[in-house]
Amino acid sequence: MKHKVFKIFGWAAFLMTLFFCLSQTTITAQAKTYQIGTDVTYPPFEFANKQNKYIGIDIDIMNAIAKEEGFKVNIKPVGFNAAVQSVQSGQLDGVIAGMTITPDRKVKFDFGTPYYKTGVVMAVGKNSHIKSFKQLKGKRVALKTGTAAADYANSIKKKYGFKTVTFDDSNNMYEDVTTGNSVACFEDQPVMQYGIKQGLKLKIVTSPANTGWYGFAVKKGQNKTLRLKFNRGLKKIQANGTYDQIVGKYLGNKTNPQVKGKTFTIGTDVTFPPFEFANKHNKYVGIDMDLIRAIANEQGFKVKIKPVGFNAAVQSLESGQIDGVISGMSITNARKAKFDFSKPYFMSGVVMAVAKNSKITSLSQLKGKRVAIKTGTSAADYANSIKKKYGFHTVTFDDSNNMYQDVTTGNSVACFEDHPVMKYAIKQGTKLKIITKPAESAPYGFAVKRGHNQALLAAFNSGLADLKASGTYDNIKAKYLGTNDNDSVAKTAAADDSDSRTFIGLIKQNQGALLSGLKETMWLTIVSIFFATIFGIIVGLLGVVPSKFSNGVSSVLIYLFRGMPLLVLALFIYTGIPSLTGTKIPAFVAGVVTLTFNEGAYIAAFVKGGIEAVDPGQMEAARSLGLPFGKSMRKVILPQGIRIMIPSFINQFIITLKDTSILSIIGLLELTQTGKIIIARNLEGFKVWTIVAAMYLIIITLLTWLSNWVQRRTKV
Amino acid sequence: MSEKLKVTNLVKTFGTNEVLKGINLTVNQNEVVVIIGPSGSGKSTLLRALNRLEEPTSGSIVINNVDIASKGVDIDTVRENIGMVFQHFNLFSNLSVGENIMLAPVELKKETKEQAANQAKQLLKTVGLEEKFDATVQSLSGGQQQRVAIARALAMDPDIMLFDEPTSALDPEMVGDVLAVMKDLAKKGMTMVVVTHEMGFAKEVADRVVFVDNGQILEQGTPEQVFEHPKNSRLQDFLNKILNV
Repeated sequence: MKHKVFKIFGWAAFLMTLFFCLSQTTITAQAKTYQIGTDVTYPPFEFANKQNKYIGIDIDIMNAIAKEEGFKVNIKPVGFNAAVQSVQSGQLDGVIAGMTITPDRKVKFDFGTPYYKTGVVMAVGKNSHIKSFKQLKGKRVALKTGTAAADYANSIKKKYGFKTVTFDDSNNMYEDVTTGNSVACFEDQPVMQYGIKQGLKLKIVTSPANTGWYGFAVKKGQNKTLRLKFNRGLKKIQANGTYDQIVGKYLGNKTNPQVKGKTFTIGTDVTFPPFEFANKHNKYVGIDMDLIRAIANEQGFKVKIKPVGFNAAVQSLESGQIDGVISGMSITNARKAKFDFSKPYFMSGVVMAVAKNSKITSLSQLKGKRVAIKTGTSAADYANSIKKKYGFHTVTFDDSNNMYQDVTTGNSVACFEDHPVMKYAIKQGTKLKIITKPAESAPYGFAVKRGHNQALLAAFNSGLADLKASGTYDNIKAKYLGTNDNDSVAKTAAADDSDSRTFIGLIKQNQGALLSGLKETMWLTIVSIFFATIFGIIVGLLGVVPSKFSNGVSSVLIYLFRGMPLLVLALFIYTGIPSLTGTKIPAFVAGVVTLTFNEGAYIAAFVKGGIEAVDPGQMEAARSLGLPFGKSMRKVILPQGIRIMIPSFINQFIITLKDTSILSIIGLLELTQTGKIIIARNLEGFKVWTIVAAMYLIIITLLTWLSNWVQRRTKV
Repeated sequence: MSEKLKVTNLVKTFGTNEVLKGINLTVNQNEVVVIIGPSGSGKSTLLRALNRLEEPTSGSIVINNVDIASKGVDIDTVRENIGMVFQHFNLFSNLSVGENIMLAPVELKKETKEQAANQAKQLLKTVGLEEKFDATVQSLSGGQQQRVAIARALAMDPDIMLFDEPTSALDPEMVGDVLAVMKDLAKKGMTMVVVTHEMGFAKEVADRVVFVDNGQILEQGTPEQVFEHPKNSRLQDFLNKILNV
């Protein structure tokens, strides 16, 4: 026994080490790399995001310029003072850290073209009636030590007769105002603006005072090339809109008051490249994704992307579970009956593709052959509409990859797909060729439920117009479909393929996604087992109490939930219940409820059976002593029944773990869904499913060992 | 002698099968009544009806002036005063010997664990098993289990004891120990109703022997009357069969 435990730990340790080692990838620089210093945290100019990656206006501008000018930068968030000193000592090449250009600093540094105008503003609590400095008399004002804002406040303190209290960081200062200890605070305008955008309950009441410019600095007389490159790059990104995009990203520009600050849940397909697909960092990208994010940014709302699959997304939208769908969705009259569409954002059309070496060149050659289509797509509708005419039959799949695969393996001779999707897939290495011209050209639109979320729809339309005007729209499109002479995405995608096709490479590349999928699977299992056990025991007991009514209730519940396929139950709960009641159910909750009912019904059945398997003489003996039914149950019958039930419990737990995979249908990002998404990207079905299968087996092995141990402990 | 238990016109049917066809029976205080009869005659059903393990179809069962067959009666309280010993012992297999005996007193009389344990040890002594207090049920022989079952029934301090073929499931060499305990109980004046095939026990211990066949009491009387001078022809047949094996 002990050896086994060690074995388990040994295995776990081995796996962890493996994952750890894989995550330690080394980056080697080739071209000239400049070392750029910045502050540790000065949002929105520089700060670490949740993934501990440095982002912010400064960082993004620096990176954008480096890209424009073809040099590399290594951003070092060493802190403002350290950065400034390191540049002086020559250890760093430059500093970009929300650094105001002052005459003093000009003595020691050469500044690039000023890139951001800033000034000091005063902010007060959201409900405060204070509007001007005059109202501060006798009041307390919060400042942050050593900032230009503090200097400014101190300089006007006497004049307006307020008191100050200083804090070491911005958050404490803000808090002092929100809690009402201080009536106002002073802060750099962009910093304040960003804070408020992030949800701070403050408002800016003065226009920027003491304005100045932020500049990029190098050591006086040194690194002239870098400074010139910076200036040139800045000019370029200001001209092509990148600069505005960066600033807009953090501070928001034109915002729509009706949607501002709101978060909308947007459903999309699991994989419909180039419109939506997970990149190798498992972030959803694609034309649809970039577009909706850019629009959200522009209009000042937030989006939560739910890649649940096209059908699930449409159904969820219909039932009100989500706010909108952007999923390469063609605007059709049938759909207009249920949804309101935005202005078309993309023109598509249906093409037919066949295997690369196929001899089929036209629709007429399909007679009597099998053709693969994807459920619910307009390509499928088109195929069905010409099916009789050309005499082929169809087979439907739930996602594009399986459909392609069916054609490449020769099961089907052709498939129908939207033109851009097919084109992109072929670029990515799918061994198919397009043999027809786009037919049934249809516009793609963003959809909301008919009569609902009109503000979101309006925001989408106005954002789309703005993006088209600014060129961002074209950039996004070009990024995925390539312009005539540029298919950089396809090239880079192909380039990073070579090393990521081995098992180790795949694990390395997808470890984050796989682990978080595993985590979701484990959570679902644990929470569901917990509730299913409670539900099962209650229903099981109802089945054995001496009451015909309770027995009936128990039997009906078991019959109902045991008799329903898990998949149907999941879809019913997730999309059916909201349609009936009008309240949303988060997918996780729907998943847990589904498993609770289904697994609980099985548990109820064996709880009932386990109790009934206890010799009836035990109950008679207990009752004949005068013990009431409940006490007899608790003290005599249940302890014996539970021992009978334990093997069934263990079995059920393992089944529950496996059954969580079915919940991928409602878009839960558990292990199976994660596998699907990874495969959607790299088409390495065999290898990825092997990895996923191994992960399930490892967990189930651990669970089995644990269960056996428990079982041995309870045996008398 | 005062009446302890009075059964009047007791009928029990299972579906269309009438198992008890109007039984009238009185048991007096301190009396030992032994019920005999062929298998399927209804004697066990009659005994089990006395603490309502079988729900009577009609008729009354008055114990200590309470009709336990009537609907409103709190049967759990009634059962506390009626000890029951089963053919298959029915010791609680999840509990130790001591815990089997202590369960009801602790749960129902709210005795402390210590009080109940002391009483249990005392009872085990009277059935000759004082060393088995901590033993598991599974480690005991049938005869030992049945003696523990008797001790368990006695722990609630009942004023009537019902025995449902207490020795039928035992190996022959175990029977003596169990009967000895029962004799001892009878001697101490316990009111007992015993269903058994042990005619020797009936002759020696019973105050009255009742012959049941086909759901009816066909004859009753002292052991001497019943065994030596049976009047009913079916009783004569029955005695012939079991005594002249």
